[in-house]
Amino acid sequence: MIPTIGHAAILVGLALSAYAVVAYVLAARGGDARLSVSGRRAVIGSFVAAGIGCAAMMISLLAHDFSVLYVARNNATTTPPFISAISLWAALEGSILFWALLATGWAALVLHRYRERHRALMPWVGATLAGINLFFFTVMTWPGNPFARTAPVAAEGLGPNALLQNHPFMALHPPLLYLGYTGLAVPFAFGLAALVTRRLDEEWLRIVRRWTIIPWIFLTLGIVAGAWWSYEVLGWGGYWAWDPVENAALLPWLTATAFLHSAMVAERRGGLRIWTSALVIATFVLTLVGTFLTRSGVVASVHSFTQSAIGPWFLAAIVIALGVSLTLLVWRLPDLAGGGRPSGTVSRESAFLLNNVLFLGLTFAVLFGTLLPLIMLATTGEQISVGAPWYNAVTVPIFIALLFLMGVGPALPWGTASWRTLRDRFTVPLLAAVVVASTAVLAGIRDLGSLGTLALAIFVGGVMLDEVVRGARGRARGRGEDPATATWRLATRNRRRYGGYTVHLGVLVMAIGVAVSSGLAIDRTVTLAPGETAAIGAYEITHDRLIVEPLAADQRVIETRAEVTFRGPQRGTLGTALRDYPNSPTAIATPAVRTSLGEDLYVTLLASDPGSGTVTLHLFVNPLVVWIWIGGAIAGLGAAFAVWPERRTRPVTQPRAEPRPSRASVETVEGA
Amino acid sequence: MRSWTLPVALGLAVALIGLGVTLGLRDGSAAAPDARAASLAAELRCPDCQGLSVADSPTRSAREIRAQIDELVAGGATDDEVREHFVARYGEWVRLAPSAPAVWIIPFGVVVAAAAALIAWLAARRGPPAIGEASSLTDAERRRLREEADSLDA
Amino acid sequence: MSLRSLRWLLVPLLVVPLTWLLFTGFGRDPRVIESPLIGRPAPAWTTETLDGGQLSSAELTGRPYVVNFWASWCVPACVDEHPVLAAAHAEHGDRLTLVGVLFDDRPDDARRFLDRYGDAGYRHVLDERGRISIDFGVVGPPETFFVDAEGIVRAKMTGPLTDDVMARHLGTILPGVSR
Repeated sequence: MIPTIGHAAILVGLALSAYAVVAYVLAARGGDARLSVSGRRAVIGSFVAAGIGCAAMMISLLAHDFSVLYVARNNATTTPPFISAISLWAALEGSILFWALLATGWAALVLHRYRERHRALMPWVGATLAGINLFFFTVMTWPGNPFARTAPVAAEGLGPNALLQNHPFMALHPPLLYLGYTGLAVPFAFGLAALVTRRLDEEWLRIVRRWTIIPWIFLTLGIVAGAWWSYEVLGWGGYWAWDPVENAALLPWLTATAFLHSAMVAERRGGLRIWTSALVIATFVLTLVGTFLTRSGVVASVHSFTQSAIGPWFLAAIVIALGVSLTLLVWRLPDLAGGGRPSGTVSRESAFLLNNVLFLGLTFAVLFGTLLPLIMLATTGEQISVGAPWYNAVTVPIFIALLFLMGVGPALPWGTASWRTLRDRFTVPLLAAVVVASTAVLAGIRDLGSLGTLALAIFVGGVMLDEVVRGARGRARGRGEDPATATWRLATRNRRRYGGYTVHLGVLVMAIGVAVSSGLAIDRTVTLAPGETAAIGAYEITHDRLIVEPLAADQRVIETRAEVTFRGPQRGTLGTALRDYPNSPTAIATPAVRTSLGEDLYVTLLASDPGSGTVTLHLFVNPLVVWIWIGGAIAGLGAAFAVWPERRTRPVTQPRAEPRPSRASVETVEGA
Repeated sequence: MRSWTLPVALGLAVALIGLGVTLGLRDGSAAAPDARAASLAAELRCPDCQGLSVADSPTRSAREIRAQIDELVAGGATDDEVREHFVARYGEWVRLAPSAPAVWIIPFGVVVAAAAALIAWLAARRGPPAIGEASSLTDAERRRLREEADSLDA
Repeated sequence: MSLRSLRWLLVPLLVVPLTWLLFTGFGRDPRVIESPLIGRPAPAWTTETLDGGQLSSAELTGRPYVVNFWASWCVPACVDEHPVLAAAHAEHGDRLTLVGVLFDDRPDDARRFLDRYGDAGYRHVLDERGRISIDFGVVGPPETFFVDAEGIVRAKMTGPLTDDVMARHLGTILPGVSR
């Protein structure tokens, strides 16, 4: 019964999306507002349909309804309810259903919000978003039906993928990431609408900026959550492996960030319309490429869902999306060309443009590395790998240059910077960096990467601090406020700038975390009998006992656990285990991580001998890792601060054409 | 602030970087066998994992490959000989860093070319001078003007 | 043709190569790796057998032989190909040697597997440290290597064997086997 409702809901969503596309296109061409309203209602209806579909799937999972093929493959009677619920997005078909929910949600939100405004753009926005939703409903109707049935109904299911069961972040990472991916369809829709209607103006830029930042926040948090999760779960002590699917999430993030920066230049002096439109298109197409790589089985990855019939459909979507948007861009090229004149060689603008060059360089490098094995295979037939050593060697210099630019750029004026400006702004931070780096060398730190990042961090942090202090001091002096109030008032009245500072601060903190944790991490592998102790860094680890028993939460899983006591900067006990899942040929490591602000103690169980109780442990001390996650959160908060609607009163210069509005509407007039 | 302070600070920074790089290079060439073995292990792909290096992987194959690397290095093999040993068994696929120089040059080439093009474009289309140049304000006035303007900046 | 109309070329120029590239990925299993051993002498090895004896590759020369890497935990692939190997041993055992090599497995588990699915009668050897699988460049079980009477590797199969694949590869090392 429930699965039938779910399947019906998908078909309803398909019909509503198709209707919405037609209605919106007709509305756009004919100008009939009622068609727009009808189309919008259809999109909202498709959101409700997707919601019903997801609810039906979740109920089927919680009820262990093995008549549904997806449930039979990804659930078992012993699966705990929490895991059952989040298995909605654990495998291919369910994840597409969840994706459809989020995509229709964004579409409904945006279409509803702007229902009274931008009348020329919105029908095309609606048509594009509904078209994208139509694609996902189509995939769910034909090649990837989540509610496909199976007969005869098995008594027991296969259970969820072992790797997706042993950490709560499975509930966090996919939703955040998908919110980011699906949200990036919105600026794309506005981009296409603007190209069709030839309305690439400041208004458009403001809307697209806002609706890029919001999904960007989710994408950033999603990527960071993914790295944190893989660190806690996979057991090799690292958080980023340059896996093709990880790269696929990074690519749209890079182009979206590049867009946000170039949009500031475009807003300032006009121009750059071709560039910003191209970036908006590229970002969305890259989200499709990313999801294609994950789902098509074309590349081998920790993440790939199994090879399925869905691949060709996603390829078709990429071709259509890229083809249509490129055609539109090329068609309108003569209208877009030209614009404001750039100012001098050393200015904030040139820093932003150089930032774009570097971000696009990174995008190219990561895309090149990810696709190269495929290219070599298709052309020469040779099989090669491109892995972490290559990516690190190529991307780290570019990241360092970007870090430098991040500090320098906002400190430069928009116009040409004079030598005096450079001197005033950069001398003290530069000297501070030199002093700190020299002190670090004398204190014994020899690792070049860490020293370099430390120096760069001091320099960039110093410049940023100087900016904030300068502004606060100016305001405090002018208005007689104390420094704290001055800074806060300044921040809330310049949300974009101070939000931007906060995002940069978050990135800086992440950079320090990454540099120190990779440069100064130590590890060793030890074999201990019960009672024996090993030392690593400032810690002493004592193996207490080896326990083999079924998991309390899921009796089918047998856990082999080494219980360990540790002393040092942190002290306590931990259990690190290998878990045998019935549906996995190899045992799954469940590392134990003890996090402090200074460092992480990370212990993985490699092997054990139940007879003697001897265990082989891989011990890590990873300094400053937690700051990577904290930095990511700071960056997300900063972006949220930047985009938070400001309370603005009606500007004095605007003539009052209509009767005086009520107080409520005046006080909460928001920007786009 | 005196006009020579920024050049001096820059000079110090560059000197420090230069010193660091030379020291780093010196250490690198006379690397201890453990360091060599570790870096070779980081370059080779673990056969039964998804993209992890032999250095990071906990599998039995990875452990054995690491042991073989240690033996080869201790026996006097050069870095290239160690790589060849495994390429002869698994093919080029086992190397995480491709051997063709073009693969390394292309990304840098693209970035450098794009940056150079940008700088050339900016230099050729210089706009009108902005605040801070060719004006008759005093230093203090100029600074205050900039601060006020910046505090209004969104 | 003016420069303005040339810009339309951008669309196919960008779309076609990307489509072709991603399309070529279909149908290939990215986990199947070509072996550099084809046409080269098979690696030499000496090791213990599952029943406690000793075996070395030197004893196998003079006759074609098949080396099959498997494990008791490799289900369903190793289970699926087990009867194919048994049939090959039954049919060609007089002029062909089959050897099973245990990949990252415990001898007890392997014996239990053979008890359950049937012991075809050919020998199995242990590879405690994994040296043999590294010398053969094995990524993961099941992988099978076909070596001719001179000791040259002629074919490799990644993944479970089927009857036709077995016949085809046997044809490269055993004269008179129909492909």
